[in-house]
Amino acid sequence: MADLADEMMDTCLLAGEIMLTYGAETYRIEETLERMAVAAGFANVHCFSTTTGIFLSFEEKKGDGDLMQMVRVDDRRQDLNKIKEVNQVSREFTGGYLTISEAHGRLKDIYHSPVNYPVWVIHLFAGVAGSGFSYLFGGGLFDLIPAYIAAVAASVSLVELEGYMKVRFASEFAAAFTGGTVAILLVMIGLGNNLDQIIIGSLMPLVPGVPLTNAVRDLLSGDLLAGMSRGVEALLTSLAIASGVALAISLFI
Amino acid sequence: MGFALELIITFAATVAFGILFNVPKHALAVGGSIGMVTWTVLQTSMHFGAAPIAATGLASLSAAIVAHVFAKRMRLPVTTLSIPGILPLVPGSRAYFTMLAFVEGNYIEGLEHGVETMLIAGAIAGGLVFSLSITTFGKGVGHRYESIH
Repeated sequence: MADLADEMMDTCLLAGEIMLTYGAETYRIEETLERMAVAAGFANVHCFSTTTGIFLSFEEKKGDGDLMQMVRVDDRRQDLNKIKEVNQVSREFTGGYLTISEAHGRLKDIYHSPVNYPVWVIHLFAGVAGSGFSYLFGGGLFDLIPAYIAAVAASVSLVELEGYMKVRFASEFAAAFTGGTVAILLVMIGLGNNLDQIIIGSLMPLVPGVPLTNAVRDLLSGDLLAGMSRGVEALLTSLAIASGVALAISLFI
Repeated sequence: MGFALELIITFAATVAFGILFNVPKHALAVGGSIGMVTWTVLQTSMHFGAAPIAATGLASLSAAIVAHVFAKRMRLPVTTLSIPGILPLVPGSRAYFTMLAFVEGNYIEGLEHGVETMLIAGAIAGGLVFSLSITTFGKGVGHRYESIH
């Protein structure tokens, strides 16, 4: 029985770690973990999650065999596909279609699986997103080309720099600086008319969409601590982007 | 014609953002369509004279409701659809002009743009709040003065 509880604890925390790392809302993490532990027959299940860690505790029987563990999450990325996969595993597990070890195996596969799309595809589509938004924010059709190039430059430098820098906001700052610089240079050599819209487009791939939406959702569902910290994270990212592009503008214009 | 082009570009940009966030493949087109709904609601309500902030709130509300309906039907986490759905509303351009005004030393203008940026962000959040209250209607937490058993 103790082994079973141990494996259940590992399974639950692995599911929670994947979801927290790749950008799930706090209520979803807590609910998933609690449901899985209850479905496995444990009593007095409690889960508490913040933006940087998850606590889970349960008992094998009422008043016997207490277990409590936590997991610390350092990296926060965005991969909504993995959240969907974990959601699916937890649904099948609570429905009784999976055993604990099967669920654990599938979660490990999800944990080690590569990103849904290859990195170069992500870069190319960062360009599409950037140039599209530069048009929507009032740029012309001719501005699509420089905005595309600048957005790809920003996306590439963000991904590459993140491998070297420990402070995430520094790499976002540098990526925004690169995107802004490329946009300014392209307009200087005559490619593109509306500098403002091109710069905005080049920065759009850096916008912290996932933490921002999750912050609102967390605050609403009463996870005040997680919501505040996620909101601050999104705010810091926006400030890093703003100061990166501000530096580029004050240097080159 | 201009509006049709805008819709196509919105679709492309929203799908591209879905790829940045690694949205599952079969949800990409749905997310893009929700982005188009958002843009249509935003532009239509501004066309009929709504203030940008009110229009943003309305668009965010409709995007979140549509996202919730489809997420339930496709058995997906709501965020995979709602995040691409509200992206066309992100006040990127106003945030940029806020920054630009501060860099150039026009603090008053910067504050003006900054307040507008924050109000629009608040309107997006407000739309999400309303949609959540509508879609979870009937799952209340119980009466405020109920004694705890």
